[in-house]
Amino acid sequence: MTDPLALAPVLAPDERPTPVFADPDLTPDERYAAFVEHVHAGLKVEARDWMPDEYRTSVLRFVEMHANSELMGVLPEREWIMRAPTLKRKLALTAKVQDEVGHAQLLYRVAEDLGKPREQMFADLLDGKTKFHNVFHYPTKSWGDVGIIAWLVDAAAIVAQQALRESSYGPYSRTMKKICWEESVHIMHGRDVVVTMMNGSQKQRDMVQEALDRWWGPLMQMHGPRSDPAKDRDLYWRIKEKSSEQLRQEFLSTYVPRLWEIGLFPPDPELRLDEETGEWRYSEPDWQELRTVVTNNGPMSQERLEFRRLNYEQTAWVRQTILAAPAAAA
Amino acid sequence: MTEQQRPTDPQPASGRHEEAGRLGGGARTDVFEVFRQEKDGDPMRHAGNVVAPDVELATHYAREMYSRRQESVRLWVVPRSQVTDLSDPDLLQPPLDRSFKKPGGYVMRDKLEQARQRAKDEKDGQGTS
Amino acid sequence: MTGPARRPTRQLLAPDVPDFDRRQLPPNVRDALAGLLLAMADDEFVIGFWDSEWTGIAPLLEEDVAFSSLAQDEIGHARAWYEMLAVLAGETADRLAFGREPAQYRHARLLDHPRTDWAFSIARRWLYDTADSVRLGALARSAFEPLAEVVAKVRREERYHLMHVDVWLRRLAAHAGEPRQRLERALEVLAPDALTVFTPLPGEWLLVESGVMSETNEQLAERWRAEVGGLLEELGLPALPADRPPAGGRNGHADSESFSWLWGEFTAVHRLEEGVTW
Repeated sequence: MTDPLALAPVLAPDERPTPVFADPDLTPDERYAAFVEHVHAGLKVEARDWMPDEYRTSVLRFVEMHANSELMGVLPEREWIMRAPTLKRKLALTAKVQDEVGHAQLLYRVAEDLGKPREQMFADLLDGKTKFHNVFHYPTKSWGDVGIIAWLVDAAAIVAQQALRESSYGPYSRTMKKICWEESVHIMHGRDVVVTMMNGSQKQRDMVQEALDRWWGPLMQMHGPRSDPAKDRDLYWRIKEKSSEQLRQEFLSTYVPRLWEIGLFPPDPELRLDEETGEWRYSEPDWQELRTVVTNNGPMSQERLEFRRLNYEQTAWVRQTILAAPAAAA
Repeated sequence: MTEQQRPTDPQPASGRHEEAGRLGGGARTDVFEVFRQEKDGDPMRHAGNVVAPDVELATHYAREMYSRRQESVRLWVVPRSQVTDLSDPDLLQPPLDRSFKKPGGYVMRDKLEQARQRAKDEKDGQGTS
Repeated sequence: MTGPARRPTRQLLAPDVPDFDRRQLPPNVRDALAGLLLAMADDEFVIGFWDSEWTGIAPLLEEDVAFSSLAQDEIGHARAWYEMLAVLAGETADRLAFGREPAQYRHARLLDHPRTDWAFSIARRWLYDTADSVRLGALARSAFEPLAEVVAKVRREERYHLMHVDVWLRRLAAHAGEPRQRLERALEVLAPDALTVFTPLPGEWLLVESGVMSETNEQLAERWRAEVGGLLEELGLPALPADRPPAGGRNGHADSESFSWLWGEFTAVHRLEEGVTW
């Protein structure tokens, strides 16, 4: 077992042991074991607590990728804010994208309180050292995409996010509750956009189906390949509670019937519910595509990172002057 | 952060006896904690935090993050450095019995039943004379 | 499915606008009011679009959320004015907002400029919000009650806009170096168009006469100059131009490259197909 105190912490923690490990007579191994027991008992870890190095880095990596995804997720939808075709849709879409920025703020704050400043996180994101979710590497080609993303991408995300409300890391679990509450409105907006178009002209219906045809692959890849739960460290630390396959099954069982019932068909001939096992069957997603995309080789990866970089540079003067933190009091 | 950059504590952390300290880790000096009241009569509850160069902008940002949906009727915005944290278990969760301070320390079901039965018997006894 | 189709009431579409009948106003006053509402609606609509461009790319995440709220509020105000105009014009708000050619829009030329950079957006927003505040002040006690009602609500929302943009203007002005320089450059570019918010409207004397509006645009421009002059002086910034509001200040948008681009964007989906619901 790793001796966590033997490692130089990656990030200097504000060391304040929880009651469970408060006893200074505990050996490092005992402290580590007590922490594992604490987490496996469903108890929470807070920002001030002592934590094994692996736990801290795992939580940080997980939250950082989530924060990055919210931030990058703004870009595919942002261009359509300008093109929203009615006043109501313009308001709804702007509010939705604003929420994504708000979620980025919440999540970057959680990560910052683990010791990594947001400036460093932005730099790592732009340098390609950290990642963001696959779905945000693809282009949005029509208003049909806007509906499909707001409905299904957000739905797939919320399936994962609802499970994260039980995360062992306190600040993250509480943030997820706020995020889930806000996301539920987005899904309703997305479904409203899609259903309205399905009730419209043939051209509108074709637009939605065409968008679904393009987005289905990335959606199926979104929760990741099936992993061996025994080997999944994020599951071990209870940072997340459900496996990739559990999330994907949940997504399919809720949303495929809702697509079929309005005449939308995911482009997968294998897609069906196996009545005997209660599990959804589907064509194996293209995991190579997923790997290619999340390493920033997706259709829009570089363009979007470049856009972010450019805008970040253009507003640097504001951060360096007016928004700069005052010098720490002596 | 290198060893040199670690924020200095007034005393080294020493198990349960260290002073109450800052929330969270990291070195940001521009964090403001936000408390909100959902509706009239509710207590103020911690909602989250924002980064801002000073309290004026922090107040604007608190409004955005925690009431843009009209979900709060009141907000408090406090520099993080002004929040004193107390989480020492010896102070907050001392180990000896304190049931005399709580309702659960006064279970008297059996005693009551005994007293009621006795009073009833007495009354019945008088009634037959 | 049997039974009568449910007609969407205005309550569902724009709950902020009270019911009224166009016949409550004499025809000439009605036309003048329609002109005013169109100007106000287009102003709010266009600035709402420019400022929503900052969503996702503002200087700080927290500020991003704040600025996006300002943009949304403007679209909400635009919606209210378009809804009122819809009653007068016998149209729908969406058709009014999205269904015209660039030359038919009546927003102030101040709002043709693209968002440019942060200082520019703040400067332009400050000029617009303070001018709009004076304009709303002239309508606050309007003899036409439905208008006064909506104005009262809008003014309460605008308080936050004024607070926020004031905070930014002062900070940019007070910070020597790049912030101040960029602010001064922005104000220089915007100054010639600053007064276009107060471009005289056709028949506006009818609005003043009937008590719908308390002052003419020229009088409002004077009032505005006086109100913001103090702050500009305090900050050591150039005073607003002393000219009268230009007659063509709300026309000629087809000649604006930036507005033509914007129009292309916000009508893109709308122009795909006539008569469909989005």
